[in-house]
Amino acid sequence: MASSSSSGLTFKLHPLVIVNISDHYTRVKSQMNPTLAPHNNATNNGGDGVVSSLPPPRVFGCVIGVQKGRTVEIFNSFELLYDPSTHSLDRPFLEKKQELYKKVFPHFYILGWYSTGSDAEESDMHIHKALMDINESPVYVLLNPAINHSQKDLPVSIFESELHVIDGIPQLIFVRSSYTIETVEAERISVDHVAHLKPSDGGSAATQLAANLTGIHSAIKMLHSRIKVLHHYLLAMEKGDVPCENSLLRQVSSLLRRLPAIESGKFQDDFLMEYNDTLLISYLAMLTNCSSAMNDLVDKFSTAYDRHTRRGGRTAFM
Amino acid sequence: MDIEQRQSELIDQFVKQASAASNTSAISSVIVDATSHPLLFAFSEILALPNVLQLEATDEKFYLDLLRLFAHGIWSDYKSNADRLPQLVPDQILKLKQLTVLTLAETYKVLPYDQLMQELDVTNVRELEDFLINECMYAGIVRGKLDQLRRCFEVQFAAGRDLRPGQLGNMIQTLSDWLSTSENMLVSIQDKIKWADSMSEVDKKHRKEVEEKVDEVKKSIFKVGWIYFYCFTSLEFFILKYIDDIMFR
Repeated sequence: MASSSSSGLTFKLHPLVIVNISDHYTRVKSQMNPTLAPHNNATNNGGDGVVSSLPPPRVFGCVIGVQKGRTVEIFNSFELLYDPSTHSLDRPFLEKKQELYKKVFPHFYILGWYSTGSDAEESDMHIHKALMDINESPVYVLLNPAINHSQKDLPVSIFESELHVIDGIPQLIFVRSSYTIETVEAERISVDHVAHLKPSDGGSAATQLAANLTGIHSAIKMLHSRIKVLHHYLLAMEKGDVPCENSLLRQVSSLLRRLPAIESGKFQDDFLMEYNDTLLISYLAMLTNCSSAMNDLVDKFSTAYDRHTRRGGRTAFM
Repeated sequence: MDIEQRQSELIDQFVKQASAASNTSAISSVIVDATSHPLLFAFSEILALPNVLQLEATDEKFYLDLLRLFAHGIWSDYKSNADRLPQLVPDQILKLKQLTVLTLAETYKVLPYDQLMQELDVTNVRELEDFLINECMYAGIVRGKLDQLRRCFEVQFAAGRDLRPGQLGNMIQTLSDWLSTSENMLVSIQDKIKWADSMSEVDKKHRKEVEEKVDEVKKSIFKVGWIYFYCFTSLEFFILKYIDDIMFR
């Protein structure tokens, strides 16, 4: 059902939308769980560790944004109620929400709708057609809530509808489109913050050090893989497998010229000075700690053993 | 990298012009146009064209040499061969000097003013700085910092010139060195992470042992101390009772 789109529209998705959709899904899913717990306790026979026997809930909502020419930029989203009996979204609610959002963001239009699941389904087309009177070509944003650790890219897909002739009947089908992620500065800060969440008991210096080093490690690994690609390309160019592309070679040579990036004598001086400063500060801190511990020990010693020499000193015994 | 984007259109345009040019004088005029154009710094595409290379055989050969000079050479090359090459218009002189700066930036990251002044035939520092700022940095081919106190120019980025034939091998060597250095760095970072983890484990164990010892000692002292306390206070009580008896009897 999903081939690649040919409409030529470029989609830009903001991380806020993805966070909103996943937040909506997580809230609905966690609100379902209290009803699951007594259910699991009641069925003891035969029930082994099956956590949730119910299928994951589908959440629905609307995405809003701006369309400028051929570029569709999706900025925000809000939730909608889904009526399972009529297989449609709650229309009056949608219109009320749209009015409210129009007051705050006058430039944003309803660009489409979102849902969760693993792939687009036939029943989604009803909702899609229903939205077609607001926007003549709505987009369908689908988030796959299943966590797949081997998957490298985002589990978000954007579908458009296209009129294809199948068996002589023109039908609307969903076609997948590619998208890019576009961030505003505030979004970048929040995404960065979430990505760098330390474990909650990471108070000790070692775990923080390990986390920092892990970050550097992954950054260098990515750089390494990209340099490898360049290296292979140049080797192939030398052997003659690929035709020589001069502008690329020029760019690579200018890149390599930046290379001894921190090499000058001045850098060594500054670096060693800062290194020595840090070592000195940690040494001083250690000395302070030791002297305070010593002080405490001496106080305790004098309290404990002076009491021994002072006969007649009454405690709060009576 | 935006220089390459700006240049790519110009390169295409000149390549089309040069391949369309039929006779040698047309080709040589295209070459002169290309070398005086203020935004074009790459000439190897034009050099690779067959009818440009055919100039080798004709008597307009020095235009081909001029193109080669602009592709790979510097200002002092021109001065030493000035008799064999056609006269340069001021635009071309400027461009050749810019290309000289690019070549110098290739080998050294820190360029002393004296060397620059010598290479570019500039007499005072003010002129040199004006040249660097106006012609090189604003044109976007070079980015860096001018250090007046130490009289040098630190290059952070320089656009690429056309490649000499042997340079490709050097670049591949540099890339493979970079790759091996980053691999070593990855391995050493992993070792450090493991070391940090193992150190924290050792520290936790040590802390636990110390806590356990403190608990044990506390318990034993508590028992002993209770007995001691009890004996001491009862002793005190009897002494006071005795004093009372003595005092008030």
